[in-house]
Amino acid sequence: METQLVLEKWPGVVSTVIIGAKKEAGGSRGNTVTIGGQNSLPLLFKEGAIPHKPKIAFEIWDIAPQDWPEELISAYAGAINDPLAWAEKCVNEFKAELLCVKMQGTHPDFGNKTPESAAKFISLLLNKVKVPLIITGSGDDAKDNLILPACSEAARGQRCLLGCAVQDNYKTLVASVLADGHSIIAESPIDINIAKQLNILISDMGLNLERIVINPTIGALGYGLEYAYSIMERARLAALSGDKTLASPFICFIGQEAWKAKEARVSVEQGIIWESLTATSLIQSGADLLIMRHPCAAQQVNNYIEKLFKE
Amino acid sequence: MQKFKVTFLPDHLTITAEKDKTVLAAAISAGIYLNSNCAGDGTCGRCKVIVNQGQVKSQPNGIITAQEKKNNVYLACLTTIQSDLEILIPDSSRMDKDIQTDSLRCDATIEPGDTPGKNFGFCFDIGTTTISGQLVNLNSKKILGTKTAYNQQAAFGSDVITRIVYAAKTGGLEKLHNALSGTMNQIIQELVSEHKVDLNAVNRIVCSGNTTMMHLLLSMDPAHIRRQPYVPPANFPSVLRAAEAGIQINPQGLLSCVPGVSGYLGGDAIAGVLSSGIYQKEELCILIDIGTNGEIVLGNRDFLVACAGSAGPAFEGSGVTSGMRASSGAIQKVSINKNDFSVKYSTIQDKLPRGICGSGYIDLLSEMLASGIIDKSGKIKVTGKRIRSSDNGGEFVVCFKEEIQAQADIVINEADIENLKRSKGAIYSACAILVKHLALEFSAISKIFIAGGFGTYLDIEKAIRIGLLPDLERSKFIFIGNSSLAGSREILLSSQARRMADALASKMTYFELSMDSEYMEEYSQALFFPHTDLAKFPTVKF
Repeated sequence: METQLVLEKWPGVVSTVIIGAKKEAGGSRGNTVTIGGQNSLPLLFKEGAIPHKPKIAFEIWDIAPQDWPEELISAYAGAINDPLAWAEKCVNEFKAELLCVKMQGTHPDFGNKTPESAAKFISLLLNKVKVPLIITGSGDDAKDNLILPACSEAARGQRCLLGCAVQDNYKTLVASVLADGHSIIAESPIDINIAKQLNILISDMGLNLERIVINPTIGALGYGLEYAYSIMERARLAALSGDKTLASPFICFIGQEAWKAKEARVSVEQGIIWESLTATSLIQSGADLLIMRHPCAAQQVNNYIEKLFKE
Repeated sequence: MQKFKVTFLPDHLTITAEKDKTVLAAAISAGIYLNSNCAGDGTCGRCKVIVNQGQVKSQPNGIITAQEKKNNVYLACLTTIQSDLEILIPDSSRMDKDIQTDSLRCDATIEPGDTPGKNFGFCFDIGTTTISGQLVNLNSKKILGTKTAYNQQAAFGSDVITRIVYAAKTGGLEKLHNALSGTMNQIIQELVSEHKVDLNAVNRIVCSGNTTMMHLLLSMDPAHIRRQPYVPPANFPSVLRAAEAGIQINPQGLLSCVPGVSGYLGGDAIAGVLSSGIYQKEELCILIDIGTNGEIVLGNRDFLVACAGSAGPAFEGSGVTSGMRASSGAIQKVSINKNDFSVKYSTIQDKLPRGICGSGYIDLLSEMLASGIIDKSGKIKVTGKRIRSSDNGGEFVVCFKEEIQAQADIVINEADIENLKRSKGAIYSACAILVKHLALEFSAISKIFIAGGFGTYLDIEKAIRIGLLPDLERSKFIFIGNSSLAGSREILLSSQARRMADALASKMTYFELSMDSEYMEEYSQALFFPHTDLAKFPTVKF
């Protein structure tokens, strides 16, 4: 006799977030990327709808990265010193559907670029490539509050994803995102309560919950992966149970964490495995958007996603 | 051991002290209390004294300036006695008020004259932060007067744990006991002289307080209260002569303590149950005593369960920038204009405002949320003439000093809000976890008794809006003020009440929250206005 699996039906649904705007939506992107919308736990296709696959975004910087290991730099040989060429390489050569640009060069310790030059860079980038953009600050709160509004304005109408808003610094970014028609990344320190509180604070300012993507903060394999995994799982269970304030898709900065691991720096092969493993594990806990660094790791994870979503 | 004479000015008190004893310790032995928030670690800089004559040895510290050094200013806690000394104590280093040190002359054991008509007693609520005493005519059962003072033990730490730790130091227990009995004697002195009662006619004292306070009053070592399994040396202390506990009333007068339940659930909770009467009710009731050590009791005539949540002293006006206890001149009602953020307030006894008491803070937080000055995490999100930045984050000016003829503005800053948020979170989550443990819902509760010394009034609506109290029908709430004091008064006046207190203490079930993994989760969720789970506060909208 065939075993009957018990199927669980959930009252809640994760909100759908579209990144990028084509011409008809007032932007100039060649494609858009849609995430979220599921009302089932990851990969349990029989329990509910999972309309969108997890998506990979290639991480690029506005300056040549100083602390990336040689194993990683060599993947972008020749292009890494020119951010625009780097972006183009990701799109043309590695078929990136989506780019995540970190404005590291604006950090006071790493170039201290002005808001004007950051805005100009975003305009150039938008002309150079036609994929949707995720734009993140350098992590310096005071500087990000100057840079991100400028970038937001430069990309007005392109429906970018901007981040990261944190509990102590979200107001400026929310105001910009509201004004320029983007969506926002809400970052919490592996803490489901703060994730929820930040979503409430942001929506209190008038930005729809449907325009928020949660960055739950993750750790790489061996560096807190399970902790991040369980926090994401708890948040997703709450969302599916009907808690709208947690029903946002997840963005996970995979590459950034994986390449911090000293094991990832042993060899290029090991680095790629470390990044892919971190990414594939977090897909199981509900990651919707994976920010990755090594093109081979991105390729492997993409193959994996294709296989999982084959049916 | 060499001994020296140390004279304190302007009191002109001289005591004999051993060589190498600190000036702070000598002052305490002389019954003079100095500010010492760091409990003598040399970090707070509040115990500055001036050495007029004599030799001292002092440890280097970053607090005394070069100018002060020239003027012979020293930190009393880091300075040791090396010769006969004359020491001047500036007013700024003194704790709020002196302790009355002159002892009473009451030698006679047979009282002269016809005295049965003069029979008075005191009841006390001994809190970690505040102590309230009440003078009662035992014949007429009339209350003559009530006084409240800050517990002078605050100099040795603001919560019970630091006090227990301090009690373990050499002489620590004695100092804590003296500070406590000193505060009580001061209240007794003031009340008897105000009401012209002969101290010899005061025959009885009943005290209720948390377990640690009772131990310190009776000079019992409280060390085991903070060690697993948290069992205190005594839950049912016997009746003794008040003089034995250092309390000055009729030398034959008796002192008793309301029995407690466990290390963190003391006689104050039992007294509260007694005075609120929840032990007689048929319907399910909850008693929420909002204090530094908040106590929650849930039950009715069939059962009583309780827990304690460490809420901190913020709602008693301690540890917050412009906080004060609920006494004359304390702001207790606040409303804020949504458009220009102007503030309207009323104070206790309609005096010029001197600070903000607990109920004032509840109003203020609720109004700041409603007018959009702060967001739900407690951060200031607007600008205006009343809003500025401070060392403790954004700051909102409640009263400018010019309008109230004061030295400083009355303010609330983000650090204060954080502090109050933790306090309200601790109280709410303790209630929530207790209800959860009994597999109940808040909605099953018929009456909610709110007790505490944070003001003469409490706006239930606003207390719910900030998430201090659960969102239930407003008609279910009853504010009963200081229920611990009221309960100890009942015991003072009635032997039946005393027997009932004993029975209640034996039958109450206690939940230890520190061992409870779910409590931390509940607590983190409560650190938001009103709560991270907005569904728990359906009627609250900002």
